[in-house]
Formats: sequence, C-alpha cells, structure tokens
Amino acid sequence: MEFGLFMELSVPRPWTAESERTAYVNALEQVRLADELGFDYVWAVEHHFLEEYSHCSAPDMFLTACAMQTSRIRVGHGIVACVPQYQSPIRIAERAAVLDILSGGRMELGTGRSATWTELGGFRANADETRKTWDEFVRVIPKMWTQERFSWHGRAFSMPERAVLPKPIQQPHPPMWVAVTSPGTEIDAADRGLGCLGLQPGGFQESEKKVKEYRSRIQSCDPVGAFVNEKVHTVNFLSCNEDGDHARRAGLRVASIFSYMASQLLSAKEVLPTSAYPSAGLLPALRREAGGPGDTAKSFKGVTMGTPDDVAAALRKWEAVGYDGINFFINFMEVLPQQYVLDSMRLFAAEVMPQFRQARDVAPVAVGVD
Amino acid sequence: MPLAGSLDIRNLLDDAPTVTLDDRELRLDDVDILQVLYEIGASDVESLIPPALNPTIPPVISFLAYRAPDSVFGPFSLVQTRLTARAAVRPRAYLVSARCDNPTAAEVLSSSWGYRIEPAEIRLRRFHDRVECSVVAHRQTILQVALVDPQPITGHDIQYAPGMHLARVQTDEGTKPRLVQVDTEYEFRRADRGRPELGIFDASAWGDERLIPLEPVSASFTACDVTIPAVRYVCNPDIPAAEGTQNVGSP
Repeated sequence: MEFGLFMELSVPRPWTAESERTAYVNALEQVRLADELGFDYVWAVEHHFLEEYSHCSAPDMFLTACAMQTSRIRVGHGIVACVPQYQSPIRIAERAAVLDILSGGRMELGTGRSATWTELGGFRANADETRKTWDEFVRVIPKMWTQERFSWHGRAFSMPERAVLPKPIQQPHPPMWVAVTSPGTEIDAADRGLGCLGLQPGGFQESEKKVKEYRSRIQSCDPVGAFVNEKVHTVNFLSCNEDGDHARRAGLRVASIFSYMASQLLSAKEVLPTSAYPSAGLLPALRREAGGPGDTAKSFKGVTMGTPDDVAAALRKWEAVGYDGINFFINFMEVLPQQYVLDSMRLFAAEVMPQFRQARDVAPVAVGVD
Repeated sequence: MPLAGSLDIRNLLDDAPTVTLDDRELRLDDVDILQVLYEIGASDVESLIPPALNPTIPPVISFLAYRAPDSVFGPFSLVQTRLTARAAVRPRAYLVSARCDNPTAAEVLSSSWGYRIEPAEIRLRRFHDRVECSVVAHRQTILQVALVDPQPITGHDIQYAPGMHLARVQTDEGTKPRLVQVDTEYEFRRADRGRPELGIFDASAWGDERLIPLEPVSASFTACDVTIPAVRYVCNPDIPAAEGTQNVGSP
C-alpha cells in the first residue's frame, strides 16, 4: 500500500500572524519528516473562505514549499477546484507544470469542484455547472500539457491556439485524480481513466463495492489523458502510540473535531435547490460520524488509531477492500501537540509501514471483510 | 472551535409563546410553499442566534411562506423569517418571527410548537412567470419576496431545515425557556426553482433590525403535504445544543 498525508491547514481562532504561520510551519515540518520516513504523498486541499476549517487557499504555493524541502515524496493537489470562476484551466495547467518541474517530476493533480455555498457563492460560481466545467477542465488540461500548441472552443472555456507553458517534466504527463465524495463520482473517475481520491469515510462493505465497480469499469475506459491512472486511495485518521488507549483518545479527538468543524460548513445542497449536489455528500456523512466538540467517546469504523498492531490490523482490512493507498489526517485545528504528531508518524513508519511495503506487489484480496 | 451564538434571550422571553407539550400533530394537505434565501451580513452573526446554536458562514436568512388552502382551522397562510444555524452538527433554522392570517391557526401553532406569531395580511400568488408573497401588518408592507422565472425540479432537490423556536415551555418544574425543535415533514407533489427577488423587508417589524439581506442565494416553490408532528426535542437556549438537548417525545 501507499501512504500519504492529507493537509487541510486548519487554523483555530483567535487568528494571529503567529497562529497562521504555526499551522503552515508545523505542516511543513510534518511533510519533511514524512519524506524522510518514506511516506509516498502529501496532498493539499484547495478551500476558500472556510473559517478555521481550512486556510489552504493557495495549495500550489504550499506544495511548492513542500517540494523544495523534500526530495522524494510526491506532492499532490487534493484537489484543485475546476470551477471557471475560481481559475482558468490554463492557470491550473501552468501552475501544476511549474510545480512538476520544481519538484523534479513529483506532482499529482487531483481535481474536483467544491461543495460548499461558502465557496461557490463567494466566487459567484454557478453550482449547476460545476460538474460540467469539471468535465471540460479534465479533458483540456492533459492536452495543454502534451500538445505543443493548444486551442479549444468549449462550453465553459475557450482559447485561441497558444503554447501553454511550461510543460511538465513527467511523461507523458503527471497523474490525474478526481476527489470522490458524491455517490457515483467513482464511476466518473473510472470512465475517464482517473485515479479515485476518496475523501469520505465509509464502511468496509460499501467501500469494497465501490472499489470493485471502479476496477471493473476502468477496464473499458476512454481516458481523458495519455494514460490511465488506476489507483484508489482513501482517507483515515492516524494516531499511533505504544499506549493504545492514549493513541485512540488523541486520534478520536482529531476525528471528532474534524467532523464537527466540517458539519458547520454551509453545503451547497442545503441552500441551493439543485440536483448537481446530491444530498448524500461528504457533509451528511461526517454529521453521522461526528460527536460534539471534544467528544472522544464515539468511535469511527476502521480507524487507524492505537498501537502499531492496532493500526496494522485496521490497514489490512482497508487493503483487503482493495485500496491502493491511504492518506492520513494527522492533526486538525492543532488539537494535538506537534511532538505527538511527529512521534506518531515515526512509530508508524518504523513498525507498520514495512509490513505493507513487503506486500506491495501482492494483488489485494478483495473479499468480504467484516 | 466554530462561532457560537450569543443572543441575549432574556429580552425576547417576555413576548415568547408559552408551549404546552402534548402529542398534537397537524396535517396540512396541498400546501404551497415559497422559500427565498438571502445572505445577510456576517460581522455580528453570533449575536443573532442563541448560545445553543452555531451560526453558518455566511449566515443566511430564509423567508418561508406557507399557503394552506384547508386545515382544521380553515384556510390560512403563514410566513416565517428564519436564520440558518447548527445545533451541534445538525442543520437548523432559528425562527426570528412569523406572521399568520388566521387567529385560530396562529394560536395553535404558537401554543403547541412555539411559533412566535403576529397577525398580518398575507398574499401568496403563483403565476407562470413568478411566484410572489407579500405580508402587510399595521397597513405597512413588511415583506415582499418573489421567485422569478420558475423552472421545474424534483422535490428531492429541496431542503427545509427543522425549526428552532424560542419559547417558554411548561414542564413539571415550571415554565422554562427552551428552543422547541419543529421537525416538519414534507411530501412533495411539485417543485420549481427560480431567481430570488426581494422587494421589501422591514427587519425591525420582524424583530431584529440587524437582519440586512445582502446577497441573493436561491428561491424555490413547492406544492406538498405537510405534517407538523408532536415536539420530540427541546433545547436549553443558553448552553450548546450537544449538551442541552432533551428528548420530550413519547417513549
């Protein structure tokens, strides 16, 4: 299995220059350590206006900083918003290519479309159109990278023939993914030959069904890029400590505050009568999982928290579901001391990660996990 | 931690409805519902809702108008002004105030579900090019909203958050201030959406002059059957809903 970090860059109130900087500095330290320890990915979200929850509005800049301070870990947009009011696909292709060059060919491009009214309304974006614009963006971006000159006359976006520069150094181009929160997006990913970047906690059986359908469907895909990225990743909360109870308490604190804060967001579905945002997206799922602030009593199924043995046991279940990788939330709102987070990563890398590296070339056994 | 409400409810309790919890349920058939949503200014958002609730970012005001052609009280119209909020992690709408054109309906809605209601003349009219609602109280138009250019959608695309109504609730220990949670159920027959339009909103008349609609969000119009079930939850308005919510429904 592959392992990564998932960065929201949450900043609790009161906001000061120091608190904003601390969130970024701590995240960079975690990424440097992840690089040393052998983690495969760092993903950074793109969110706008999401007070406290995420102050990561310029992920390409953060990821560039990550790239310049590391040598091996892959740097991923998890995800870049493919909404024309946010940015042109030209700018996405250009910035991603620069990041690919500066990182020495380590850039991954996750794509998506935002799910909150806070963001969509803030840019005066048309929520009904975001699925369509996402689809157009993911078709044109790889062409901008691979064609010397490119022109397009589309629905949401048009441009005369120009060379979109620079070109990325990965050949034929960097891997592309799509964030999966709404039901059915895994099918969209499969049909387009895109990697599936799961952002939603789910049960084993539900996940196994989705992964199986994705694997089946992608066999006959018509890829939007020059190659098929058949990888399925999911997210989880990592808290690893020799004292299992301590690890679970710490991890559940992160999970609870994450879900609680996510539940405070104003989803597009809540205020817009539109079929473009189905009701069963990320936020309702998190509301089902969330306790209250500071509530550590409620457990999440399959959490990667506890002793190294506990974490490995949970990972084996997710591996059996068919996932190729898991990206971890390791802190949120700075509720855990930085030293605890770094120690948790070190213990995971020393005791757990090697068990799954050995099994990397073995095909996953995707059969009925409880 | 998310922002929390800081509204001083003591100023509102004097004229808050008194609720006697019972097993009353109200069924309304063929109700027309217009909902118009606008963002309001967020600079003082905490002070608009009680401490039990968390505001949304941005805060959104909803104008929710019912026209019930028939009921046990006869035909009536009801218009609510509400604010989007959260009770712990759940989407809720805090009722600022309501207007009703049928005194008997108003009395029952107030005493059983805590609707803070004053009388008014209400007109809710559906045309092919627009749906509009106006509310007149003391000869002044205090609300004029519309949905412009209706387009059919499905009822699945509509969400009405449960209401949170500040009231004095009669308990075994006397009368206590509580937020009464009103979990209205809807069975949709038809739904449209369109462009929201706000002509007049007299914020002072609705109870809080700080409510200034700024940005249009959405408008919908539905035809549905409505059930207002008996109250199942009440919440202490002074403490976070995660700690102060009480199940008062039938076992």
